Amino acid sequence: MRKPDGKIVLLGDMNVGKTSLLQRYMERRFTDTVSTVGGAFYLKQWRSYNISIWDTAGTHAAVCRGYRLLTSWGSLISCVDALGPASRWREQFHGLGSMYCRGAAAVILTYDVNHTQSLLELEDRFLGLTDTARADCLFAIVGNKVDLSEDGPGESRQEGGGGPGPAGSGCAAPRLPRQVQPEDAVALYKKIIKYKMLDEKDVPAAEQMCFETSAKTGHNVDLLFETLFDMVVPVILRQRAQGPPQTVDIASYRPPARTKSGCCA
Amino acid sequence: MEAGGDTAAPAPEDAEDLEDTRFPSKEARNGGGVHEDPPDPGDGSLEKTESDTEDQPPGLLPQSEAPSCTYGLWDPAASENSPPGGPESGSGSQGGDPSDEDWRSKRKHVFVLSEAGKPIYSRYGSVEALSTTMGVMTALVSFVQSAGDAIRAIYAEDHKLVFLQQGPLLLVAVSRTPQSAAQLRGELLAVHAQIVSTLTRASVARIFARKQNYDLRRLLAGSERTLDRLLDSVERDPGALLLGAVRCVPLARPLRDALGALLRRCTAPGLALSVLAVGGRLVTAAQERTVLAECRLDPADLQLLLDWVGAPAFAAGEAWAPVCLPRFNPDGFFYAYVARLDAMPVCLLLLGTDPEAFHDMATCRRLVEDGMHTLGAMRALREAASFSNAPSASASAYSVQAVGAPGLRHFLYKPLDIPDHHRQLPQFTSPELEAPYSREEERQRLSDLYHRLHARLHNTSRPLRLIYHVAEKETLLAWVTSKFELYTCLSPLVTKAGAILVVTKLLRWVKKEEDRLFIRYPPKYSTPPAAPAASADQASHNGLLSGP
Repeated sequence: MRKPDGKIVLLGDMNVGKTSLLQRYMERRFTDTVSTVGGAFYLKQWRSYNISIWDTAGTHAAVCRGYRLLTSWGSLISCVDALGPASRWREQFHGLGSMYCRGAAAVILTYDVNHTQSLLELEDRFLGLTDTARADCLFAIVGNKVDLSEDGPGESRQEGGGGPGPAGSGCAAPRLPRQVQPEDAVALYKKIIKYKMLDEKDVPAAEQMCFETSAKTGHNVDLLFETLFDMVVPVILRQRAQGPPQTVDIASYRPPARTKSGCCA
Repeated sequence: MEAGGDTAAPAPEDAEDLEDTRFPSKEARNGGGVHEDPPDPGDGSLEKTESDTEDQPPGLLPQSEAPSCTYGLWDPAASENSPPGGPESGSGSQGGDPSDEDWRSKRKHVFVLSEAGKPIYSRYGSVEALSTTMGVMTALVSFVQSAGDAIRAIYAEDHKLVFLQQGPLLLVAVSRTPQSAAQLRGELLAVHAQIVSTLTRASVARIFARKQNYDLRRLLAGSERTLDRLLDSVERDPGALLLGAVRCVPLARPLRDALGALLRRCTAPGLALSVLAVGGRLVTAAQERTVLAECRLDPADLQLLLDWVGAPAFAAGEAWAPVCLPRFNPDGFFYAYVARLDAMPVCLLLLGTDPEAFHDMATCRRLVEDGMHTLGAMRALREAASFSNAPSASASAYSVQAVGAPGLRHFLYKPLDIPDHHRQLPQFTSPELEAPYSREEERQRLSDLYHRLHARLHNTSRPLRLIYHVAEKETLLAWVTSKFELYTCLSPLVTKAGAILVVTKLLRWVKKEEDRLFIRYPPKYSTPPAAPAASADQASHNGLLSGP
């Protein structure tokens, strides 16, 4: 197995289009996808590097276990409270959610531009998962489904080889004014930097890390992934310079023991 | 508890009110059973039905007679009884409204709701439109509960209503299929197992202990389709749930044995179970001794896994997801690695105890894949998969023609004479459903007939051993002996003597083919992994692998 050099994780509420984004990029097509179960692992060759991509389920059940009353969640609580009414009840994420993120070099936080709640969920539920990512982890905030809103790019912008989705919902559905503005994503990005206790000078600018995409038309999808891959490469090099990564290196013990046991005989 | 502040809950509700739902006082149920939601068009109906319920003499057991209100709700003919609330179509909730003809005409409804009456799952329609209906169900359950009893079923003319309480969840089937209450209960148990497999019983209990009006749909989103598929399979391709057995891919015994040996050899730290399957049918499975030594896998758990890995979500990439085996341990998670091998319908499932072991499992998968190439198994399995003439490559079955008994259309055969150590793996075999059973109605009719015969054979008060049943469009013969359980579907023109001849021929064919049709000698245990040094610390975490 090719050992992945760097890891990228797609996070976000259900139905925001994480799987569709990845499918549009990897397979150049858009189809109705089904709910992801747990996390799906993909490997992408980028230059001489192998980048692993985890596509995670947006459902709570698949990534979180347990449920408890959080009395404090540091700065995050205050961020959330500042945004509007929020309950004291929060899912406590452990189990696989943080496993998918462990040692991640970049996290793609995805929301639906036509759905304010999906942006709120990002800091509410998903940001906490990224605590296990690398300290210098990159964050991209991606507003998907711009094709569904009034001011989104027109159908003429269609890129890639794939045809329109079978449901054709984009054409049939009346275009509504979008609910999330690009500024909201920028604000979230700045909040994340604060939450991670990073200096804005040390991280890529918000404008560079906030994307608006359409998995259906292909709008900005390549730009998103390829910008991120390019940015992840220096992280990989830095990681190599630093020595062993945070993840358990399975390659180190695999070959000698296994071949002797003669599994492939 | 500041539940009222939860933005995710549709409407603020009072926990105290909800607790009152247990008591049959009308006020309490109005507050708790129905609760929430903006002006509900069905509100009037609930008022009415509730008072109807109360009009029943308290001593009357619902088993003996259906409360008229419930009957009214389900029977399309009784629509004139619908409350003054009148034309409810304006509510905007299409397809789920109990007054909707299309919705009412469904043969079998299955609902899951919380004790507080909060909708969790409905097979048809949108659950939002059903809060009133679910309120009535909660009311019925509470009413009987208050008398220190538990409601099990209501028989109302051609409808059966079966209730199943599992912890904080209430499952209800409303059916006018010929299925028996016991069979419906089995289906509800399978639905419950499916929910537990995503969440575990413990966390469902914990969630509702903390917050009684929690909306469990938030956690189950995405798994509704799995429940739909499970319920559809009962009508479209009966067998697994009816017979409590798994279906195997027909395969030459040497190849199956070799694959079993391969799975046993390929291990990873924390690996508990490896399963090879094609389209929801079992090729072979191997269990790890150190993890599952005492407790062999329950067939219901294995069937659940087979259904689960058949989900379209696993068609691409390598998946890593938590899954709970309700019969093995309803409160704990395993971690499942699921991948399609060689972009084929062949699916490998590796179940382990270590949440971090994804890369170990991926390595193990490559060993299995390499081993299968060496065995040439891919080609054989591809042939097995393409044998079926069904357009979906998912079925790996055989044609009934293979039996060589003219007049035989379909059958289900479950061997019972398996050696003792195989009892843990009940299996059955059946050919592909072919014409005239290609359309959905036809399949439903056949499924109904099988269910009817099964119910008669297994009737608790008067079990039968042999049934010869001449139906309108086919003739059926069901037979249970100490060695097998058999359901055959024959052409309607067959004579009794002809039917016996066909069945004799079929039994002879099964005997001849049994090594290919069934896993006669399931692989026992894997050898414990050689415990590589790097995994030693991981192994100590889960506690299962510690020890010699």
